[in-house]
Amino acid sequence: MLPVNENTAIKLIPATQYTFEQLVDIYNQTRIDYMVPMPMNTARLVEYVNTYDVSLEHSLVATLANGEKLGVIMLGVRDKRAWVTRLGVIPNNRRLGIGKALFNGLLHQTQKLCINFCMLEVIKNNIPAHQMFLKFGFREVGELLVLRHSPLEKKNTSELANIQSFEREQALTYLNNHQLIQPWTNQYESFVNSSEISGFYATLNDGSRGWMVYQRQKFLLSRFVFHTETGNPVKVASALLSHLHQQYPRLDTYVENIHSNNPHLPAFYEVGYIEAFRRIEMWHGEPT
Amino acid sequence: MSKILLIEDIPDNVELVHRALSQTGYEISYANDAETGMAMALKIIPDLILLDLGLPDYDGQTLAGWLRQEEKLNKTKIVVMSAWPEEAIRQVVESYQCDGYITKPIVKLKDFISQVRSFLRND
Repeated sequence: MLPVNENTAIKLIPATQYTFEQLVDIYNQTRIDYMVPMPMNTARLVEYVNTYDVSLEHSLVATLANGEKLGVIMLGVRDKRAWVTRLGVIPNNRRLGIGKALFNGLLHQTQKLCINFCMLEVIKNNIPAHQMFLKFGFREVGELLVLRHSPLEKKNTSELANIQSFEREQALTYLNNHQLIQPWTNQYESFVNSSEISGFYATLNDGSRGWMVYQRQKFLLSRFVFHTETGNPVKVASALLSHLHQQYPRLDTYVENIHSNNPHLPAFYEVGYIEAFRRIEMWHGEPT
Repeated sequence: MSKILLIEDIPDNVELVHRALSQTGYEISYANDAETGMAMALKIIPDLILLDLGLPDYDGQTLAGWLRQEEKLNKTKIVVMSAWPEEAIRQVVESYQCDGYITKPIVKLKDFISQVRSFLRND
């Protein structure tokens, strides 16, 4: 391998010039020594690109002049909003400014697209990345939790509720009318781009009412959004979660990017969820 | 002879485990993703599964959840292998009813072999 230093020219190449297999290989190499490595295969990257509107045209691979791959960064684009994701540098090439070059290159892409609002998430305690994002003008707006629920966990709530299920069309209608700004992964478009979306509506004996939308994959429940229309959000979420796990007792659950101040959060713990890790949500610009 | 299934996607780690266990007389099989791991586990009914948490299709927790619900595997030990902080791994082990964990990276092969032996002995 050629040595990389400050005098070495780094080329930033649009990700469209690589196959999905090559992009998976680069990405997995960047994550190989991560504490939470989250590797992907080709099918998962294709799904990821489609679900999150990742523009490979504006995503970048960093290479040396001889083509050796050093790192990758991806950009999700929705109207005038953007999302920075999958930033990583292959371990031997770290601390040489490659991450900064990739990030800078990506911000140039957002300028070309006249993007006025950009968001990203960084794993809590990834201090070098967090510091770099701050230097580029991003600001912290909150903390996001990644939660798990094992199918072997059988805690239930005692909340009595009338629960009705609804299908994709109704789920999308609820989400489209839900005005809160969600992390990119849980935005309306992410659900539109996903299959197997449905939900439940709960009416509790005390009059509390609300809904949840979720995605059910072959082995996994994921992508939750809750809304309480009236009453106690913890009771509503607790009833909905208990019902969900009674319906799908054999499925594992991975819930991503729930805000730490989400009023439904205590319900997750009531029904036996555990916290896997936290991310910091960061924004640049103002959402319109 | 005890049967071990290693479910791990990083070739260097597979090689390391292979090097460590090849002289022990155990029958070792490998899978590099969760779906292959599940299929192989049901086919060979191993005595011990060494399970990496970061897999490219479904992660190790999801796989542990399926494995633990399979009647055919109720005597199989599941041991998680991860570089996560120990507290986090312990939580996974408890929630997904695994039998224990081995922390990564594997530094001393002798210690690793002893850990594997102890999981196989603890019936």
